[in-house]
Amino acid sequence: MAKLWAIIKREYLERVRSKWFLIATFFGPLFFSAIIIVPAWLASRSKATTDIYKTTILDATGNGFGRRLAINIAGDSTDTARMPAVMVVPPSELTRAESTATRTVMEKKKTGKTGYIVVNQQTIAGEAARYAGRNATSIADMAQLKSAIRQTILAQRLEKVGLDDAQTKAITFIPLEFSTERITERGRAGSGMASVLFGFAIGFLLYMSIVIYGQTIMSGVLEEKTTRVAEVVMSSVPTDTLLAGKVIGVGAVGLTQQIIWIGTTYVLLKLREPIMAKFGAPTVSFSLPDISLAAGVLFLLFFLLGFIFYSSLYAAVGSSVNSESEARQAATPLLVMIVSTGVFIQPVLLNPTGRTAQVLSLVPISSPIIMPIRMAVTGVPPLELAASLGFLAIGCVAALWLASRIYRVGLLMYGKRPTMKEMARWISYSR
Amino acid sequence: MTEYAIDIVNVTKRYAEHTAVRDLTLRVPTGSVYGLLGPNGAGKTTTIRMILNIIAPDSGAIHIFGRPSNDPKITERLGYLPEERGLYRKMQVRRVLKFLAELKGVRGSEAEKRIDEWLVRLSLKTPEKDWGLAKIDELSRGMQQKVQFIGTLLHDPDLVILDEPFSGLDPINAQALKDTVVELKKRGKTVIFSTHLMDNAERLCDSVCIIARGEKVLDGTVTDVKEEHGQRNIALALEGDGMLGVASILQDRSLVKRADDSNRFFEIELVPGADPQTLLRRIIDSGASVQRFEMIQPSLHQIFLQKVGAQGIEEGMTGHG
Repeated sequence: MAKLWAIIKREYLERVRSKWFLIATFFGPLFFSAIIIVPAWLASRSKATTDIYKTTILDATGNGFGRRLAINIAGDSTDTARMPAVMVVPPSELTRAESTATRTVMEKKKTGKTGYIVVNQQTIAGEAARYAGRNATSIADMAQLKSAIRQTILAQRLEKVGLDDAQTKAITFIPLEFSTERITERGRAGSGMASVLFGFAIGFLLYMSIVIYGQTIMSGVLEEKTTRVAEVVMSSVPTDTLLAGKVIGVGAVGLTQQIIWIGTTYVLLKLREPIMAKFGAPTVSFSLPDISLAAGVLFLLFFLLGFIFYSSLYAAVGSSVNSESEARQAATPLLVMIVSTGVFIQPVLLNPTGRTAQVLSLVPISSPIIMPIRMAVTGVPPLELAASLGFLAIGCVAALWLASRIYRVGLLMYGKRPTMKEMARWISYSR
Repeated sequence: MTEYAIDIVNVTKRYAEHTAVRDLTLRVPTGSVYGLLGPNGAGKTTTIRMILNIIAPDSGAIHIFGRPSNDPKITERLGYLPEERGLYRKMQVRRVLKFLAELKGVRGSEAEKRIDEWLVRLSLKTPEKDWGLAKIDELSRGMQQKVQFIGTLLHDPDLVILDEPFSGLDPINAQALKDTVVELKKRGKTVIFSTHLMDNAERLCDSVCIIARGEKVLDGTVTDVKEEHGQRNIALALEGDGMLGVASILQDRSLVKRADDSNRFFEIELVPGADPQTLLRRIIDSGASVQRFEMIQPSLHQIFLQKVGAQGIEEGMTGHG
């Protein structure tokens, strides 16, 4: 037991002390906050910017449409800073006025104008309006302008049928905010967007950890083999202890990193309002998905089992080869197994209760990544959850058994890389 | 039972392609320096690994200090220096040593104390520089070998197994190793080393075992082995020219059975019954100037060549030494 502890301690401390670990641990939360905050920030961009106030309205309608539109764009505000400029031009002068306006926009730095709107008889008829400006690609700005124009047309029409100003305002004023929320068996659980993002973050985190820590174990085993440290260690402890110590030690490093990541990401998200204000982004309110303690424990359980499954196989690969380049080749099947699981992350996010998602969350190869994603975005029946954990546990035992047999023979075999047939024979060796 | 540090009885280890060790029986007396000699691929490393319980024999029994080799308590009394050496490259020297000590059941504080003693003793820790705080890959090759050597002896093992300890050692480290082996023996420890360098074996070992192709060729104390192969050999050294005439005499198979030519020094084995005086007379008659003509016991090197032959040496198999 003391020896197992010595191995775990070495694996853990040597890795936690490394620069790589410090860098990854530090940048992880920044990265995860970014993937959560950036979409939220982008979503905030779906609100129009102040650029729409800096337009000039070229009014060729002759009936004061431009003036009404300006008020509409300003959001019925009396703030003159928000009121676009209106230039009433006769239709014959429109071409010249447009080229002047174009020049003003070209010299935006001096004039502060981002664009101009052309409204004419066609606009009043509800057929066409034109905009030219620097922010013509901003979907939100254009949508805002478009709806302001529509609203102005509607208001004018209502007036024509005899409604007064106040009535028109009352009818056309629709400040609609559309928010989305997800419903699971346990009830409402945060906004739909947030839970998909959360599911993606979980999937990505598990996926990356398994690949990174699997390969860490592989190169660790390879180093011990090529430097012959393995022989010295094997003369002191049984190979199973060595393998167990490695898997536990590196697993603990992974767990430490994840706990730091999740903890700091959580804190960063809590503090997102002051942080985003620093970046000049308007704050977006979205509720964090409601994760129960039981779900948190299950996530960690899936991480640990998935880690054991893959890292023991990676250890077996590391023990059977003699160099980094051979190891990369030999690890290809494992990488294919993980990457093909990664490919399914998106389809599962889109359809978390479908047949594909169900099957993938039962197979030990993919379940440690797919099942937590499903849990994040939908309610999973307890029976499925139990079956998934059960199969994964069986998969772990099988992988460990297989790995320990390859490991103890492979560590002592130098020279040629073994064929699959030879490795199969190793499994049958007594010791 | 316990008078033997190692007691191997009828041990066989088979691999798919070949038998690495076949029906091997050997006994290493406690407190002796024992040489396991053989060409590459003879089964030395496999034997050592079985002694260390890294691999298990297919049949036969191995006892260490009277207890089965798979007794977990036994491993703490063994120290092992593998043939090709290496340590965790990115790890600090002290931490590597402490790790190796802990694997052998030495407690942390005790390990720290011993590490200090050893580092000072092998001049890795001087008032100017403490290499114990450096990382392994900052050390020169020679220093790394010293660290590895410390790692082998840190837990004060009763049985030290050194696999080809002299390969790659510079003369100063080789001397330090020899001194240490002698000192270990004085303290009643048992030292086994495997080597194919017969000179070292002859000087250091009390007993030897020669194995080839997985089988024991001979074993016993160095004195007994030499006496058993008791035809007395002749050491001949010549001065100046006149080699040509001597060469033809040494070709005479009615007189000389075998001659090992080292240019100016010859080790000669006579045909049974041949008179050394006849040989001396013929050499002098040939006009050669004799610097040395001495009746000697055959060297281990000679016995080895005679017993194993060139064939056994060439039949090197990589993988399971």
